[in-house]
Parts: sequence; structure tokens; C-alpha cells
Amino acid sequence: MPAILIRRLATAIPTLFAVVLLSFLLMRVAPGSPFDSERPLDPAIRAAMERAYGLDQPLPVQLGRYLANIATGDFGPSLVYKDFTVSKLIAQGLPVSLQLGGLALLLAALLGVGGGIAGALRPGGWIDRSVSVASSLAVALPSFVTGPVLALVFALWLAWLPVSGLGGPSSLVLPVIALALPVAGAVARLTRTGLAAALAQDHVRTARARGIAPVRVIVRHALPPALIPVVSYLGPAAAGLLTGAVVIETVFGLPGLGRYFVQGALNRDYPLVMGVVILYAGLILLFNLIADLLYGWLDPRVRG
Amino acid sequence: MRAAAVTLAAIALLALLLPLVLPWGHADIDWNAVRAPAFTPGHPLGTDSVGRDLLVRVAVGTRITLAVALAAALVALVVGVAWGAVAGWIGGRVDEAMMRVVDALYALPFMFVVIVLMVVFGRSVLLVFLGIGAVEWLTMARVVRAQVMTLKQRPFVLASEAAGARGPAILTRHILPNTAAAAIAYLMLTVPQVVMVESFLSFLGLGVQEPLTSLGILVHDGADDMDIAPLALAVPCFVLVALVVALNRIGEGLRERMAA
Amino acid sequence: MTLYAVEHLSLEIGGARILEDVGFAVAAGGCTALVGASGSGKTMSCFAPFGLAAGRPRGSARLEGAELIGLDERALRPLRARAGFVFQQPLTALTPHLTIGAQLAESASALGGARPDRRAMAAMLDRVGLSDPEAKLDQWPHRLSGGERQRVMIACATAHGPRLLVADEPTSALDAELRHAILDVIGRLREDGLGVLLVSHDLPLVARHADRVVVMDAGRVVEDGPARAVIETPAQEVTRALIAASPRLDSPPPDLPVPGAPLIEARGIAVGFRTPGWRRGRFQAVADAGFALAEGEALAIVGRSGSGKSTLARAVARLGPCDSGAVLWRGRPLPPRARMGTAERRLIQPVFQDPAASLDPRWTVAQSIAEPLRNLIPAMDDAARAARVGAVLDEVELGERFAARRPGELSGGQAQRVAIARALAADPEAILLDEATSALDVLVAGRILALLGRLQASRRLAILAITHDLAVAHALCHRLAVMEAGRIVEIGPVPQLLASPQSAALTRLVAAQ
Repeated sequence: MPAILIRRLATAIPTLFAVVLLSFLLMRVAPGSPFDSERPLDPAIRAAMERAYGLDQPLPVQLGRYLANIATGDFGPSLVYKDFTVSKLIAQGLPVSLQLGGLALLLAALLGVGGGIAGALRPGGWIDRSVSVASSLAVALPSFVTGPVLALVFALWLAWLPVSGLGGPSSLVLPVIALALPVAGAVARLTRTGLAAALAQDHVRTARARGIAPVRVIVRHALPPALIPVVSYLGPAAAGLLTGAVVIETVFGLPGLGRYFVQGALNRDYPLVMGVVILYAGLILLFNLIADLLYGWLDPRVRG
Repeated sequence: MRAAAVTLAAIALLALLLPLVLPWGHADIDWNAVRAPAFTPGHPLGTDSVGRDLLVRVAVGTRITLAVALAAALVALVVGVAWGAVAGWIGGRVDEAMMRVVDALYALPFMFVVIVLMVVFGRSVLLVFLGIGAVEWLTMARVVRAQVMTLKQRPFVLASEAAGARGPAILTRHILPNTAAAAIAYLMLTVPQVVMVESFLSFLGLGVQEPLTSLGILVHDGADDMDIAPLALAVPCFVLVALVVALNRIGEGLRERMAA
Repeated sequence: MTLYAVEHLSLEIGGARILEDVGFAVAAGGCTALVGASGSGKTMSCFAPFGLAAGRPRGSARLEGAELIGLDERALRPLRARAGFVFQQPLTALTPHLTIGAQLAESASALGGARPDRRAMAAMLDRVGLSDPEAKLDQWPHRLSGGERQRVMIACATAHGPRLLVADEPTSALDAELRHAILDVIGRLREDGLGVLLVSHDLPLVARHADRVVVMDAGRVVEDGPARAVIETPAQEVTRALIAASPRLDSPPPDLPVPGAPLIEARGIAVGFRTPGWRRGRFQAVADAGFALAEGEALAIVGRSGSGKSTLARAVARLGPCDSGAVLWRGRPLPPRARMGTAERRLIQPVFQDPAASLDPRWTVAQSIAEPLRNLIPAMDDAARAARVGAVLDEVELGERFAARRPGELSGGQAQRVAIARALAADPEAILLDEATSALDVLVAGRILALLGRLQASRRLAILAITHDLAVAHALCHRLAVMEAGRIVEIGPVPQLLASPQSAALTRLVAAQ
């Protein structure tokens, strides 16, 4: 197990560096500058502003300075939200996104794995068929459709829950559901197909022949190998849920990271965009690492 | 799977033919019928807030969404198959290096990359699908590489070497034709993903630009008025969901048929 | 005393009749063997009454007087617990993510029994002949060898104290020398009154371990009697064919062609592989191995799995890696693998173990056979090539009507004949048989072996045969090379070596036959 950890870390660090480098270059070669506005800026003022933000230096110098700064957790000042540093914006947005994403991840995993198992208990039965239809729909319904519809029904018509904004746990219910549904659908389908494959395997037949009860055969003998594709899907998906529920945050007016990112990108706020990208890449790598550890737990053969 | 194929064909046909038959273009404004409700004479689904016919806009939006999806999926197919096949076939250090690149790109926040691309290089339909395809090829490359790696171990490849075939000939004549099934099945699963991403981008205002439209834009516009004009949301939603479900079914059907 | 009795058992799946009026009995402490070619229904007869196969059987199957047929899953489960089951594939039959101890405890307590403590479980593993049983309890299945896993399977199958053990080809995935050891373990369990129902296609093996033999063919029982009587005086044609198809070492040596001038000389071959995993090292698969082969001569390379026999043969045929050493062909060195030209490739052609996997599933039979012609004899025109394809198809007794088929439409034996036809198409001087008969059913394997014998005589082919089965070597080869741990430990004429094996490796192999 430590071997896998070390090897993963050994590739994760260069990967993270590549992400930083790539996004840095991308932002710099981009046409247009954050100081473009309706009327052309006086060249002198523009030069002064660029000097103030260090944009007049040669690229390698800018990169070096940037790397040194992010190593200390300083992603620089935001170009658009004056008076705010990127780190501060992230610190504001991240808790909202983490709450939203964490709850959605939990809900999606429970619904999805539960649905997949329920379907596999009686292949072709009515539960199996309804889970299959429901999960296809859940996967196909974009969250920007479910979000507004949920808001319309539960917030506007029934007035059970708030429409938008952040205020207490009730304001998270609808966004969490809207965010979790497509993921839950995908997890249910992966679990179901994984279980179908696992149930056809020799060791499951052996377990059945030993007189072990059907539910126990599924949960103890068939489920762990069936969960491997689920884990590899959930690794990156979890990182996505936790940081960038871009659309859901927009629909429900939640001040999370995703909204900062979209606004940052639209306004060419380089430091903000890069800060979020790097954070996100770090999270993806972290979740891939967790997924790798889970593989080892689900299938001891990969531990070597 | 047959039902899914029929659905897909019906949607594609309607999207292609309706704009030819209907008297309105997708950008034409009917000044006499702004925000017309459904079933208004001449506008079966009504019009939007500036008086454009919804039916023709849904048809054109479906066209654009499908075109973007197909083009992006093809980009993914070409790049992914080439990359995966070369890595899997050569193996060793080359494979290691090529797959590390894929890993690194995987760690890039996918949605964010496309958004950044759109912002950086301006918004055009061409870029939308290039951008999406550029990200979607990663999984295709992994799928194809895994296929090539297992096929490479099969005795018929060794038998072909014994029969005097050279490396490139073995790759193009034995291995690639045998990966085609997996690649096409996966392609079918890529298309709905691309449809989703395109509509996400359009929803955020970063995809296709007005007056051109796509399913994502229509859903976005429809969501604004859903309490007064539910059809304006329901129809594009229905088309989008039907498309994605049908494509997913076809892709999974192909994959299962291949596994059997 | 009859423990388990099956009468008038029949089974239909999707309108096809799988079993018809099958009947047999197992005595307490006895061992009844079901034998037959693949597809004869022997496995189905074992599992269908216990609800472990598709379809709903009719007839009667009584275990200790209790009727199994017609019960639903819920009622069947407690009755199933009176039996234990061992399956063919020890490598995949154990749950990979649970330790041996966990699976053993679960098996023992599956139907409400007490969970055994570690000492009791260690004793169970000890009983099936596993060394260091205490430590094995904490191991995962993939850490164990195939033979060890099959022993664990037996321990699990008998952990809850069943009265009947059903074993489906328990040894056919194992090396020859392990087969008797596993069946001896099962035999010892019989001393406590356990009845055994054994499924096998291996008659010599059955002859030594079963006391009753039931021969099946096309879903019916054709012969049933005491093991010795059935095997020594078979009454039915099917039984005689099965016995004749299992090559035996004590049959008279075949009439082999007289070898000619020296053809191949391999010297000092060494092949190493990088071992995967975190601690990378090198594993020496073949070290300093060499042999000579003359025109029309057949050399068998035998050894247990992992002994390096396949690696050596592929290195010599330039179809696998080769680190050092030289291969001389009529005295002239063969170039390394990457620089083999068409003239050299034509000299030696391979036939592999798995016939289905050695043909490209998308190519027709004719395309596959034409591939070596196209590449190795570029001067040949289309008409001549088609004629040659037809000729070799006739030579392997398939005929031209097979030319347009694809591998999916061929049986295992037919696919192997196509593979042989492809190997012969470009008129090689030698062929490499890499376990060419070991994935086939006994009857089919026997026919392929006979075909190879005829081709050897008619074409004066030199043969390099890799096998773990001494009987194949005995039927086809002049000389025998025994490999162990990457080295050739013994080489010489087949009859002489079989009569007085010198090396420990060959002694074990001969004893296992």
C-alpha cells in the first residue's frame, strides 16, 4: 500500500506543476487583458497598472514569482474584486462549495449504490426496471433543468423551501438534490452493471453453492469488485461536486467557488481563475489518490 | 435499443426537416406575436420574449446541438484512437510518458478548461466543439489503449508476426479493426456527454451565440419564464433528455453486444 | 448404503434437450465418477438438481432420502448445505477480496452453524494438506498457488460437515503432478463416510480414484459400472473412444519417421523478464538452454508451468524475447526477432494452445490461411494462393467449404485445424506446437494428435512440441527435453527417459501420469 501511495505522489507533484504551467501560459497568451474596457485606456495608466501587478516582467520571471507565491499559499490579488486576494475569495467560497458538494456526494453514493443493489436482487423485476428508467432519466436531465424545476415546485408553488440565497440548512436542500441526481443516476447504473458482471463470476457461484444467503452473497461477495468502476467514476466526480457546481450555484444564487470562477473567467481575472484551477486540480489528484487506496481495499490483488 | 435508435432518427429528421418547411427562420421576429402562447395560429409552440417562433428555434437548436456533439465526438475519436493505439502498441516508456500526459490532462478541471478556452479564444461554434473534443478524447485514449494492450497479447497477433506481417501492418490490419467495436460503443457514450457539456456552456452564456440557438440556450431562456410559458421549458428539455437517453441506450446496447 | 440417488433426471433449456433419463448413485464413503466428452451433460447432471445450473430439471434426486427436484431456492438452500461443491477453476472460484480465514468461517457457519475458532479452521486447512495453515488463514487467495487454492476450496466445501462432495473437474486446471495429490486429499475425506461425485474427462485419473464410473454421451448415461470393469472391458463404443483418446505411456511407441540432417541448433539461450510491482527485479525465465533438432525429428519440451519451456521455444522461433545465445539453422545463424526476413520466417511456424484466440475473429478462415502466403511468398498470384488455401484445408481434413467461415463459426477442434493449416501454408520446415492440444476436449485432442502424426510423416516436418503432458510427447516425439526453473535438466530419447528418469522433475512427472 505505501508503494502505491508513494508512486501516486511521485506522479501527482509533476502533474500539479504541469497544470500550473499550462494554465499560466494559457492565461498569458490569451488575447485581451483585464484592463480592457469600453474606452481605450491611456497607455501610461495602463503601463502603470501592468507594472503594479507585475505584468510588465518577462514571462519566466512572472512564472517564477508566481510559483514562489503559491508555495506559500498566496495566489496574488484579484484583478477584478479589488481589495480582495484570491486566497481570501477562495476561503469565502470554498466552505459553501464543500458543504454543498459533500452532501450531494453522500446523497448520490447512497442513492446510487442502494438503487443498484435493489435492482440486482431480482434482475428484470419491477424494481430493477424502475431503477433503470429512473437512473437513465437522472443522468440525462441536466442540473440546470432539475434545479429550476425543483425551485419552481418546492419553493414557488409549495413554498416549503427558500428559492435562492444562503440561509440555514433548508436553503441547501434543493441545490443538493439537483446536484446529486445525475451523479446518483450514473452511480446506480455503474453499480448495477458491475453487479451483473460480478454475479456471473465463479466465486459468486461458489458462495451460492456454499449456502450463503442471497443478500449476503451480493453485499459481501459481489459488491466490492462491482464497486471498482463506481470508485473510478466518483474520484473525479467528487472533486467536481466539491468545487465547481458552477451551474447549481448560479441557479440558486449560492456564493460558492464555481460562481467566482465563471465571473473570474468572464472578466479575465487571471489570478482568480488560476487559483481555482490549481485548487481544483489538487483536489482531483487527492481524490484519485483516495480512489487508489479504495481499490486496494476492494481488491487486495492490486496491493501487490 | 431499437426504440432508442428510432427516437434518435426521428429527432434528427425533425430537426433537419422542420426548418425547411416552417415559414419562419430561427432569427425571424414576428412583431405581431411577441410572447405568443402555445397553439397561436402560425406558432404551434408560441413565440419567445422577442417574438421568434419556438418550434423552429427548437428544431434549429437541436440541429446545432447535434452538430456540435457529432463534431466534438469525432475530434475525440480521431485524437483518442490515434493516441491510445500508439501508446498501447509501442508500450514501455513511450506508453508511460503518453499516459502520464493523459493523467495530467485529466487533472485539469474539465469544465473550467472549456470555459477558459471559450473566454480566451472568443466564442464560436467551431471552438465549442474543438474545445469539448479536446477534452473528451482522454477517456477514448484510455479505452483504446486498454483494448490494444489486451489484443496485443492475443496469440493471433503473434501468429501474424510469424506469418511475416510487420508491426504497422499488424496494428492496422489486426488490432485496430478489433478495437473498432469498443471505440464506436464508447463514441456513442461520448456524444451524450458532449450534448450535456454544450448545453451547460450555452446555459452559462459561453457556448453558441445569439441569434443562433442550441438546446442549452433554449432551456436557459425557458427556465426564466417557466411559470408563465411552461412549454418553452418543457419542449427543449424533453428533446434534450430524449436525445441523451436514446444515445446512452444505443451506446450501452453496443457495448453489451460487444461483450457478449 | 446409498447416499445420493438420481433417477430419470431430464432437463430442457430453451427447448433444447440437455439431459434425458439420467440416473446414477453415490454410496456413503464411495466415489462415483461421471465421465464423458465436453457437452455430454456431465456437469449439468451434477449441478441441476441443486439449483446451481440454468433450467428446471425433472425426475428425482434424493440426498439422504430428501427430494431435491421441484423445490424453490428457499427450500433448497438448507438441503444444499448437506453437500459441498468444488469447481473447476481454483484461480477464480474463491472470492478475491476476502481472506482464506473469512471464507472458511463463512462456509462453516453459512446455515446457522457455529463460527469456528482459529484452531479449528487451521485444523481444517491441515486436513487438506496445506502447510503452515495458521498463517494461510490471513492470506488472500491470490497469494496462493493453484494447487493450494484448490485445497482451500475443498476445505471450504467440507467445512460445514456435508455428507456429499460434488467436484467438477477439480484437477483439470492444474499441473499433472498436482492432480493425484488433490484427489488423494479427497480420497482421505472419504474415510469419514463422505460420498464423492466426481466429474472428469480424464479416464486414467478416474481409474485410480473412483470406485464407480458413469459414462455419459449426448445427455444420456451409456454405461455404468465398477470403475475397473468399465475401463478394462468397456461395453460401449463411446467408452472405448474415450479410453483410446487418452494417450497412455504404456502403449507401444509409435512408428516415427527417421530423422535426417541436422536442422536447428540452439545454444546458450537466456531470457529474463522484469518482474512487475514496486520492487522491480529480473526473473530469469530461461538460463543457458540449448538443444538440437534434425529434419523430420520431433522434440518435446516438458516441465511444470512456469518452468520456461514456452519462453525457450519462442526465443528459438524468434517469436519472443531472447537476451543471449545463438540459433543456427542448417549451420547459419538466425537473425534476432526484429530483423527476421521473409525467408527466415518461412522456416518455422507456430500453433498455439487456445485455438479461438489464435485466429483474428474478424478474418475469414481463407484470409487467415492466406496471410503467411501473402507475406512470405509475395510472388504467388491470387489464383495460386486460393488453390494453396484449398489444398491445406484438405490436408487438415476440413475442406474448402470452411474457407469463408469466421472463427466464431468454428468449434475448438476446427479452429485448431485452421491454425495448423495456416502454419503449414507456406511450407515450413518445422512447426512449433505450444500446448497445441491441451485446451481441447479429450476426443478432439486425440484426433488433432493423430492428424499431427500423419502430417509429420507425410511432410517430414520437424516438430518442437511444448507440453506438460508426457503422453503427448510419447505419441509424437523422438526425444524429450525436461525443463525446470529455466534450465534443461535432462534430454534424451523418449522411451529411454520414460523408463528411467534421472532428474527429480521428470520423476515427478512420470509418477503423476
